[in-house]
Amino acid sequence: MRRQFFPYVIGALSLAVLAFVSAQAADNAAIKEKTAACAGCHGENGISQTENVPSLAGQPDQFLQWQLVFFRAGSRKNDQMQPIVEEITNEDIRNFGAYFSQLAPPKAPEDEDPDLSKKGAQVAAGRRCASCHTDTYAGTKAVARLAGQREEYLVKALHDYKSGQRVGGGVAAMADVAYHMSEEEITAVAHYLAHLQ
Amino acid sequence: MTSMFHRSVLALAAVALLAGSSAGNAQQQDKNRALKKYESGTKEFWTHPPDDWFLGDETEAQKGLAPPSGPPTGASDTELANIVKKIKLPPGFKIEVYASGVLAARQMAWGDKGTLFVGSFGLGNVYAIKDNNGKKEVKTVLKGLNMPTGLAFKDGALYVIAVDKLIRYDDAEAKLDNLGEGKVVYDDMPSYAAHGWKYIAVDKDGWFFLPFGPPFNVGIPPTSVSQIRRVDPKTGNAEIWALGVRNSVGGDVDPRTGKYWFTENARDWISDDLPSDKLNMINRIGEHFGYPYCHQGNLPDDKFAMGHKCSEFTPPVLNLGAHVAPLGMKFYTGDQFPAEYKNNILIAEHGSWNRHKYQGARIVRVIVGPDGKNPKQEIFASGWLEGDQGYLGRPNDILLAKDGSILVADDWAGAIYRISYSKK
Repeated sequence: MRRQFFPYVIGALSLAVLAFVSAQAADNAAIKEKTAACAGCHGENGISQTENVPSLAGQPDQFLQWQLVFFRAGSRKNDQMQPIVEEITNEDIRNFGAYFSQLAPPKAPEDEDPDLSKKGAQVAAGRRCASCHTDTYAGTKAVARLAGQREEYLVKALHDYKSGQRVGGGVAAMADVAYHMSEEEITAVAHYLAHLQ
Repeated sequence: MTSMFHRSVLALAAVALLAGSSAGNAQQQDKNRALKKYESGTKEFWTHPPDDWFLGDETEAQKGLAPPSGPPTGASDTELANIVKKIKLPPGFKIEVYASGVLAARQMAWGDKGTLFVGSFGLGNVYAIKDNNGKKEVKTVLKGLNMPTGLAFKDGALYVIAVDKLIRYDDAEAKLDNLGEGKVVYDDMPSYAAHGWKYIAVDKDGWFFLPFGPPFNVGIPPTSVSQIRRVDPKTGNAEIWALGVRNSVGGDVDPRTGKYWFTENARDWISDDLPSDKLNMINRIGEHFGYPYCHQGNLPDDKFAMGHKCSEFTPPVLNLGAHVAPLGMKFYTGDQFPAEYKNNILIAEHGSWNRHKYQGARIVRVIVGPDGKNPKQEIFASGWLEGDQGYLGRPNDILLAKDGSILVADDWAGAIYRISYSKK
């Protein structure tokens, strides 16, 4: 949608394309360098090996950008992220979103407790998770990918919503949904989603 | 202008025919479901209303319709330059970008010394925009507020409404570097987010009209919500002026009569074409506008009418269309536009989410006398919507500038536009 606005000028097409390509390549190199800072916690290629830190690979572009905008505005709070995002530019945010969304999403680990997953699937259906997160739980636009996310991070995120520490985007739907979830439901749905491919 | 009007009449006729059949099906499905019950007598209801407040009434065919989310960093200057080229206006009018980088921009208000204050939606920011020799400097002056969508400026103070708190920041234009904590002057409002974001319209006595939306799509609202109150920011005294109002996020005081007119977003999930959103006027204090019993003045709710007839309620001045989402509105009191615009109402339509083919995302002009009779509407500015669901921008508020031009806030592109008129 948004890429259609690139200012191609027909008369200077070849020149513009050349300039554009090299600028883009430089951007990519620059953004890769910048993402090195992310890898410390979020892992190589955006796949986190750190407890309570989410994988970013394959998250929807807009979702990633929104989180950075929320961190920067202070409406989402996190001690590690705060100092990093304070001075981040809109261009950086767009670049980070584009970079991590194009990485291959994490592979789900083998499910060692399919019964719990079954229960989690029922919770997800009852709470209408798919209405926003899509039937495959790959997420879309401003809505997060849940499939294959770290299990304990999904639990953490639901707790953050439940306690009101995190409000989420738009109309605060996640805060309202999570508030009514029991611990049992949270455990089950996190297990189910973490093991979805 | 005439041809535009004819086209919209034809379009409306087609819509009405289609609506007859599809609404029938949806309502049939709807009937088979049990009535939901909310316990509003508990404290919990007021902090965490039903989790199904905007989903839960959908049919299978409506699954997947959800409020869309715009570009998180707004539109870039290059993109904005292209957007304004696509906006269609009547002859003689011109649109330009007034300020960019005003992320999630909502209601606007002028300070006495020419500072433009702008609220925001989920971001929690309030901005101050200053004109430095033609270059607009956008400064975030408040952060971390709870949906500070509405604001007003009065007697040197900036007032911000953040869901359940009306906060006053004294001597605001002199303190843009540090507005301080402010003083809460009114807080008799529920804290839930659902339809809890608000708009401020100041009347001639300096009292504020404030909307109180219900915390769900449709239901019998607890007695203290689904209403419009008039609040004195000096004393915190409040009066209930309108009942039976769903989600209103815009209104203005008629310069001719002092009466309050307001826009209202109708319930969702009946169908793509029903019910219509509304423009209302409060003739006398305490009028009931029909929600949840009757929609658009003539459509009893399938479940919630419960024997009520539409004739019991104050009908809308005008049905604006289904899911157009009318938000901020202003009477045009300036001198720059052609004389026939005087006292017309300009309404910013935010556009649909609960409709397969979006409509709205434009500014409409309503021509109507002070009695509300024989209203006419026509499209004033459009072009922010491409294809079925492709927003380029979403207008949501209008503000007159001193020179008679108007400013338009767009929370999708994160920008303020200026629309001006010149005879040549």
